[in-house]
Amino acid sequence: MFKTLIIILLSSVFVDNYVLSRFLGICPFLGVSKKLDQATGMGIAVTAVMLLACAVTWPIQYFVLNALNMGYMQNIVFILVIAALVQMLELLLKKFSPSLHKGLGVYLPLITTNCAVLGVAINNINDGFTFIESIVSALGVGLGFLLAMVLFSGLRTRIHDANVPAPFRGLPVTLIAASFISLAFMGFGGIVENIFK
Amino acid sequence: MRKDSNLDVLTKGILKENPVLVLILGTCPTLATTGTVDGAVGMGLAALAVLLCSNVFISLLRNIIPETMRIPCYIVIIAGFVTIVKLFVQAYLPDLYATLGVYLDLITVNCIILGRAEMFASKNPVVKSALDGIGMGIGFTIALTAMAIVREVLGNATFAGNSIAFLEPYKISFLTKAPGGLLVYGLLIALVYVITKGKAPLKKSFSCAGCPNAATCHTACTEKGDEQ
Amino acid sequence: MLKNIKSVGVLVAICSVIALLLALTNQITAPIIEKNSAAAANKALLEVMPEGKGFEQVDMSKYTLPATVTEAYKETSGKGYVIKLTTTGYGPGMVIMCGVSADGKVTGAVCLSSNETLSKEKEYGKVFAGKDAAAVEATDTIGGATMTTGAYKNAIKDALTSAKVLGGENVDVRTPEQIFQDNLAAALPAGEGKFTKMFLTEVLEGVDAVYSADNGAGYVAIVGEEFAGIEAEAPTAYPAIADAIKAMTESTLTDVDLTAYEGIHKNVTSAKKTAGGNYVLEVKGAGYGIVGGDEYHPASGEYIVIRVSMTADGKIIDCLTVSQAETPNLGSVCGDESFSSRFDGKTEADIPAVEGIGGATMTTDGYKTAILRCFAAVQILEGGAE
Repeated sequence: MFKTLIIILLSSVFVDNYVLSRFLGICPFLGVSKKLDQATGMGIAVTAVMLLACAVTWPIQYFVLNALNMGYMQNIVFILVIAALVQMLELLLKKFSPSLHKGLGVYLPLITTNCAVLGVAINNINDGFTFIESIVSALGVGLGFLLAMVLFSGLRTRIHDANVPAPFRGLPVTLIAASFISLAFMGFGGIVENIFK
Repeated sequence: MRKDSNLDVLTKGILKENPVLVLILGTCPTLATTGTVDGAVGMGLAALAVLLCSNVFISLLRNIIPETMRIPCYIVIIAGFVTIVKLFVQAYLPDLYATLGVYLDLITVNCIILGRAEMFASKNPVVKSALDGIGMGIGFTIALTAMAIVREVLGNATFAGNSIAFLEPYKISFLTKAPGGLLVYGLLIALVYVITKGKAPLKKSFSCAGCPNAATCHTACTEKGDEQ
Repeated sequence: MLKNIKSVGVLVAICSVIALLLALTNQITAPIIEKNSAAAANKALLEVMPEGKGFEQVDMSKYTLPATVTEAYKETSGKGYVIKLTTTGYGPGMVIMCGVSADGKVTGAVCLSSNETLSKEKEYGKVFAGKDAAAVEATDTIGGATMTTGAYKNAIKDALTSAKVLGGENVDVRTPEQIFQDNLAAALPAGEGKFTKMFLTEVLEGVDAVYSADNGAGYVAIVGEEFAGIEAEAPTAYPAIADAIKAMTESTLTDVDLTAYEGIHKNVTSAKKTAGGNYVLEVKGAGYGIVGGDEYHPASGEYIVIRVSMTADGKIIDCLTVSQAETPNLGSVCGDESFSSRFDGKTEADIPAVEGIGGATMTTDGYKTAILRCFAAVQILEGGAE
């Protein structure tokens, strides 16, 4: 049981990193990774929303949609639930913790249509995870996102200072740099499964 | 050709405002489904279908949907059509369904579709919105297919699943994996820059203003603008 | 306020319309999707029974099926059965799926997974299509993979048997080994089902083999097709055989000093003479070494040790492999009684014709060479006695 959870956590952080090997959440990865503090803030906000979203969507899937035999409503219900959650989180933060809202709040509206959040919610259902496993998986995916963001922001400050040929300026060189980080993450493949043997 | 003629609306998505290579929208499916030509064409056509339906539907309702509630309304409509397309793919094209997996669901959060709803369909009549949807969908499909051809032919020495024997010893298998997707995408955008001699219209009005990820994209756009 | 309510109302209305559309789509696609997933699950089943319409798993606990059968499926329109079996070829864990038509013929067979060395078994299943039990037996084997094909054929035959059982026929699904054990137990109930084959040192007229009960209750002599039960105390039937066995078990063996004779091969390690004038010899056989030479198995470093009892005029009474360390599942077959008993009743001239072990030529040659050395030894011993 405990071993399964550790495997789920580690593989979603390293092996199946949503950004670097599953291509989910690329937009904020490219957009908000310019500075380290922005990257960290976005990463934490995404992790929080993922945890919350999975904690809510899992019971909805099993106790409402499956019970009513309405699995086909999954997509609509999940995206609405995530949008509502994000709105509520923002309002709550604004009211009770203005300082935190100042730090994270600006990133929250961006997360509504972040495909990584919807992706982890749907994948948890598709993979047949239990509730605990879903939460652990969401945590792992969020931490993996944070890790990728932080690593990449370090790289981008270097690119920013470099003299890049004109056609590669801006997005192309950023994508190629991301490709190298992704290549490095491929090295984790197979490690997690074998660590506990 | 007038700037806003029907033909122009239809064709602008294919090259001039190509959503993937020029507007840089919908990057997630672009990277994720272009490992094989089959997957890329399937993804492109599925997105086209959703785009067409949602554009028409939203354009029809553009005077009914209240301003404050428009984003949730758009999301519901798009998620609905995504599910319909998904169910039909699952029923009639099970192989494609297995290839695309969760990315089919994630068309819902593809910013191309929400972006077109916000930027075009909510302001234009039905016929034009439909043409815009078809044009953008074709542009998306073409860009995806082009990327997939590069990745599959060079990476796996196959084309749409058919083996290309003489390339077999030279295949660069990492191209079909995640890093190869990012690399090929970067190179293709650079190539478009070279072809258009740096005149690709990377204006805010196309990509960011209407996108729900506006603030996110904004960062990327201003950066791009600054550097050019 | 009114504006807000109106906004929410529009959203709810749109949600309802979309939900309705989805429900309609679901109505159309749900049965097709269900059919697709069922078809995917049945893919392997359809491969071995292409004409199958649908399959349902059979509750195996209601039937007595061969031990190799792990799953059984019934074709819903009555075209036959698909049987999944796990068997041991050259290595354990060979999983085979076999379709059997209603008239008892193989519709197709595939090997789903195996640990065989030759991987030819992947394609082998095709040759069985359309065959019945007798035709399966006559099918060509894969060259160089006797164990694999043997196990494959047995699995196919088990599948054919299973289909008969599932079809309601009363079929004996016991393996030949089980049948034999059951016959032994029936012949001598006092033996409580536990018997050990006796090594015969005397010629027992008409008797092929003798099994002694482990609890000392008596013996079972196999006379042709007949199983003759003989109680240790006061045997009631087969008095002649009973007496002969008694004489054999009570007679003492005299050691023969081999060093007193010249020309006896060094691999013949001991010889004893029985009361009836027969010899019991122990001989070391060169196993998987150099053909006809004196080598032991190069990997295990051990000889095959064989015990042979022989009449003075050169006819084998009984033959037993005492120990061997040949390649598992190939040369190691020489340790099986089914192999050593092939030499029973043979004379020197018969030996070359004795059927060898498939895929283990060297072991067979080494074994036969060792036996021939026993004949030579007995000739010298007899010559010396004269």
